[in-house]
Amino acid sequence: MNRALTLATALLLAAVVAMGVYLHTLRRNERERAQHVPDSRPISAPVAGPASRVTFYLAYDDPGVVRAQEASIALPADPAQRGREILHALLGEYVKRPSSHELPAGADVKDVFLVNGNTAVVDTTPALAQGHRSGVFVETLTIVSLVKTLTTNLPGVTRVKILVDGRERETLAGHADLECFYDVVTVEQLLQQLR
Amino acid sequence: MPWSRHWRETNGAGRAAVVAILLLVLVASGPSAEEKQLSIYGPRVSYSLPVSEHNGQDYVALLEALEPFGNVSAGADGNRWKLRFKHLEAEFRQGTNLGKVAGQKFGLPAPFVLEGNRGLVPLRALPAILALMLATKTDYHEAARRLFLGGAATRFTTDLREGGLSVRFSAPVNPLISTEPGRLKMTFARDPVVANAYILRLENPLVSSITFSENNGRAELAVQGKVPLLAQFAAGGRTIDIVPAPRQSQSTPPAAAPETATAAVAVPPPLTLQALTARPPFLVMLDAGHGGDDRGALLSETLEEKGVTLAFARRLRSELQSRGISAVMSRDADVTVPVEQRAAMADAARVALFVSLHAASQGRGVRVYAAMINSATGKPGGFVPWDTAQAGHVLTSRALADIVKAELSQHEIPSMELSAPLKPLNNVAATAIAIEVAPSGADVGSVNAGVYQQRIAAAIAEAIVVGRSRVEAER
Repeated sequence: MNRALTLATALLLAAVVAMGVYLHTLRRNERERAQHVPDSRPISAPVAGPASRVTFYLAYDDPGVVRAQEASIALPADPAQRGREILHALLGEYVKRPSSHELPAGADVKDVFLVNGNTAVVDTTPALAQGHRSGVFVETLTIVSLVKTLTTNLPGVTRVKILVDGRERETLAGHADLECFYDVVTVEQLLQQLR
Repeated sequence: MPWSRHWRETNGAGRAAVVAILLLVLVASGPSAEEKQLSIYGPRVSYSLPVSEHNGQDYVALLEALEPFGNVSAGADGNRWKLRFKHLEAEFRQGTNLGKVAGQKFGLPAPFVLEGNRGLVPLRALPAILALMLATKTDYHEAARRLFLGGAATRFTTDLREGGLSVRFSAPVNPLISTEPGRLKMTFARDPVVANAYILRLENPLVSSITFSENNGRAELAVQGKVPLLAQFAAGGRTIDIVPAPRQSQSTPPAAAPETATAAVAVPPPLTLQALTARPPFLVMLDAGHGGDDRGALLSETLEEKGVTLAFARRLRSELQSRGISAVMSRDADVTVPVEQRAAMADAARVALFVSLHAASQGRGVRVYAAMINSATGKPGGFVPWDTAQAGHVLTSRALADIVKAELSQHEIPSMELSAPLKPLNNVAATAIAIEVAPSGADVGSVNAGVYQQRIAAAIAEAIVVGRSRVEAER
């Protein structure tokens, strides 16, 4: 076998291997894209501000716990807007697939209002309640995750009220009370049971 | 003379008179009367609208009146207001009485009012406008502000028989049942219940009179009792039986509750000092979650939560009764019972224990809940706030939840105990827990399996027997 033929064979083999790697990468990317449900939530205005460390309290349906997890996200200076961005990021963890605690596409926070410095009113999108799975436990996990994440990252907020599309709603999805104010003490007690 | 000086110089009697006048003014300008509303009953839809007053006349928003019947839109152009409903139009001008409805000239009894983009028509004109726009006949009870469309009406008959009174309706009804000492009241807000206003006086050992009345968009049927009464729904909500409340005895096991009983509300007899100080019997209310229009969670393609909770409640009732514990159910059929009415029923019946029953497709085993509320520091007095009625009882509720969890573990049923913001636990002025039954394994259908439910019911009934003394001690 002359030298030129050897070189050509080696080049062809290298090309085959490279092509194989490329095909494998393409297949993996496609698989990941198929698993990812498009985020149909409205695109929020870009946030200007330095990246800050925040603590999410993430719900896990299995084994039924809520765990703290640190993250770094860009946050504005205004406390109400910070609250909105934090919850927006938290719910983003739940609307993507797979998720530890799946929430429907479009579930998001429209606004957060701070009243008297200690009360936060969270206005959520209709999709959050309308598409939420129904059940005492699964609804309780959502409430605890939202309230604990907000009160931990906005010191001074001790009560949280949750609205749906600007209105009071009786329950989240048939069980969890949305007519009450959630106070940080009772939510903390419940969190202890969910760790 | 400055007011403060004048006040100081006024004698005691004068000051008392001023205070009395101020109090009178305050009372007169106190909480306003109930807001006016109009109820509209159609063959398929019933709803209420707020009524506002303009120049001494009652008005309603025309667009809101038509919205439940299909696509409707409206807009103002200067002082002209135009409404489009399906292919028909209505047009009015601010401040004038003459307009057009469905191509015909239409005279209003009072001027049309435009509030922003909202067009308000005099209430008295609404029946005729709806008759033209919907091409249907109307029947308006003006004094009660109740408007019936297309012959919608639910009539009833009463049948006094031995052991009770039956009220039979021509269609299923879902009244709000409330109680006062010696009186049971059914309020129909969404049901087109009609009758000639009457009072029926009876020579009967149970019921002394039945009164029908209608006012402010609602109808009311009041039963005056001579003994404590229970209301029981039957025939899929077409019949309400008024029967004497069973006399509970701790030593005698109760007879099995009739299968048709639902929404049972005990009407306490007129209160006496003795009755107030006596401890009521140990009675458990089993609240089968959801029902009727509210199906609860869809556990699988064919399994609805409301059916699972009802089946489980019946099993638990049977298990309790076999252990000599009296149990009533908040519903015993597929009927809608508003969630707050369930707590009101428990409070009115002065139950010792309220058990709310739910089912889920997620997780395994049983979850036991107590209310998510801070405990009250002291024992509450005669009246307790509705929103925090559970606060004085939550420690006992948690203790009982502990006992239930322990008993489930003994029966080798996986369980979890925690608090939850579940309605209506916070409104129950007694020991209250909730049970959420999840499947036993991967098969969601197992949540409705008889053997599985029976094991759980037996464990919970046993726990209630064990925890009874704790609950009794708190009462």
